[in-house]
Amino acid sequence: MEKEIKELLNRKEIAKLGGGKEKIKQQHKLGFFTARERINKLVDPGSFLELGLLAHSDQEGMEHKSAGDGIVTGLAKVNGRPVVVQAADKTVFAGTEGIVYFRKTKALHEYALKRGFPLINLMEGGGLRMPDGMGSDGISQMLFPQVMLRHQREVPMVTSILGDSFGGPTWLAVSSDFVTQAKGTTMAVAGPRMLEVATGEKVTNEELGGWDVHAKYTGQVDQFSENEEDSIESIKKFLDYMPQHAGKEPRCKETNDEPYRSLDKVVDIVTTNRKRAYDMKKVIKLIVDNEDYFEMKPTFGKALITVLARMNGKVVGIVANQPMQFAGAAGPNECEKATDFICLCDSYNIPLIFLHDIPGFRVSSDAEKLKMPTKIMMWNQALAQSTVPKISIIIRKSIGAAYGNMCGPTMGADFVVAWPTAEINFTGPEVGINVVYGRQLQNTENKKEERLELLKNWGFDSSPYKAAGKYLIDDVIDPRDTRKFLIQTLEYACAKNGSLSERKLANWPTGF
Amino acid sequence: MEIKANLAGVVWQVLVSHGEEIIENQDVVILESMKMEIPIESEKSGKVKEVKVKEGDFVNEGDVLMVVV
Repeated sequence: MEKEIKELLNRKEIAKLGGGKEKIKQQHKLGFFTARERINKLVDPGSFLELGLLAHSDQEGMEHKSAGDGIVTGLAKVNGRPVVVQAADKTVFAGTEGIVYFRKTKALHEYALKRGFPLINLMEGGGLRMPDGMGSDGISQMLFPQVMLRHQREVPMVTSILGDSFGGPTWLAVSSDFVTQAKGTTMAVAGPRMLEVATGEKVTNEELGGWDVHAKYTGQVDQFSENEEDSIESIKKFLDYMPQHAGKEPRCKETNDEPYRSLDKVVDIVTTNRKRAYDMKKVIKLIVDNEDYFEMKPTFGKALITVLARMNGKVVGIVANQPMQFAGAAGPNECEKATDFICLCDSYNIPLIFLHDIPGFRVSSDAEKLKMPTKIMMWNQALAQSTVPKISIIIRKSIGAAYGNMCGPTMGADFVVAWPTAEINFTGPEVGINVVYGRQLQNTENKKEERLELLKNWGFDSSPYKAAGKYLIDDVIDPRDTRKFLIQTLEYACAKNGSLSERKLANWPTGF
Repeated sequence: MEIKANLAGVVWQVLVSHGEEIIENQDVVILESMKMEIPIESEKSGKVKEVKVKEGDFVNEGDVLMVVV
């Protein structure tokens, strides 16, 4: 059998070179790693079990140029945890998708779902391969894989955009739970060369789908990295907060951080001067285990912060307003970001914590054109259908409808409490007077004085004690006890079913 | 090191001046935006080499407020 074994080994050795040594050299010259190098950086040493190494293009005459058919697929371990991984191979027809590529990626995705493994995609490439996908026969067998469209958050799906991506890799990314993009790469529907012919628009890759576009405008990417290694590091960190599959809770991690630690520094961070902003990230850092948190979409919708963190070892998701940006007022992007994050946490059994300091929504004619009412209600509907434990803390302002969106009373929280600094109301008194007495004020001579006089008598109590007095909120707590309160209440909220969710949001879209 | 505005607003107060020694996390400028006072702090300790804005100036996100060495 020696001859046969030799032939097998020889075939595998050649297949591992993908599109060949020249193409690999070119990939390196452009400053990129190859598919195999990327997988090696991600997985535990020696753990990669490749499937489909001997596959190749089904196009006649292409067999020897297309080892793997543009995608490297297999099973592996990341920090000891089994995962399913695929990496696009730029050296084979620029990482485009032939029919065998399709077959491989579909089988891999199905296996991830069948046995409950996170699916990790290290992607780049130009989408459907030409001429494979051309003609009514080509395109008819290469439409979107159903397994991707009906993924339904069964297992965490993570995609890293490590080179220019159009079509397939882009579809996969925006269908994922977590997306990283290496700066300098592009993620878009179709490349500039296609646009040039289709519409005549001349645009660079960077303008079309560079990191800046996604950071500021689209929110389709969760984190950006300076290089490929950092992107892969982000994936590992994200996975650490995720359960193996949707039927499990994320792993608890022992901590040496005292669960009932008093937050003495919080009084220096949150000022009682209601006009003065403070950095909510400092408050979060103080509350969570070991000052450690993982932020999603830090550059998009910055008036709202969404982070994964641990409380006494248990993974939690935190939705917090950021007074440093627009005074914490949420606009359309913040609404999308909140909805997205609630879907993620609820689907993967991660309890939610809400930290309010929001003076209302950022209303404007521009916001209305961007469907602000729909965005606000989408967030509320997600909140209402979420079934993970939820704990809500009003730190400072929580005004109007936004009080509801941040999981105020009657919005499904296990507990709602306030700090003594809380200011809860329908709207600010200045705005209220303008709405009710606006016409009257227009017709008076001493507008300023009359306004002040009205303000004096417009004394609706926005202190939390009014709501606590009627038992509309559960308590007013000492801000220094916030960590203790959260850890204590989380224990009770998770006593019956852990943090397992009914996953009613699992089939919601992966973007809004 | 450059200290930049993290949002658009009007410079309400400049809290330090040229040549002053400052420490990490010290507030150096207070911007006013959305009727809120937004303190901007220094990420590092150092000496103020240049103050690029004065009270009343409008600044955009990303504009350099001062240079610290």
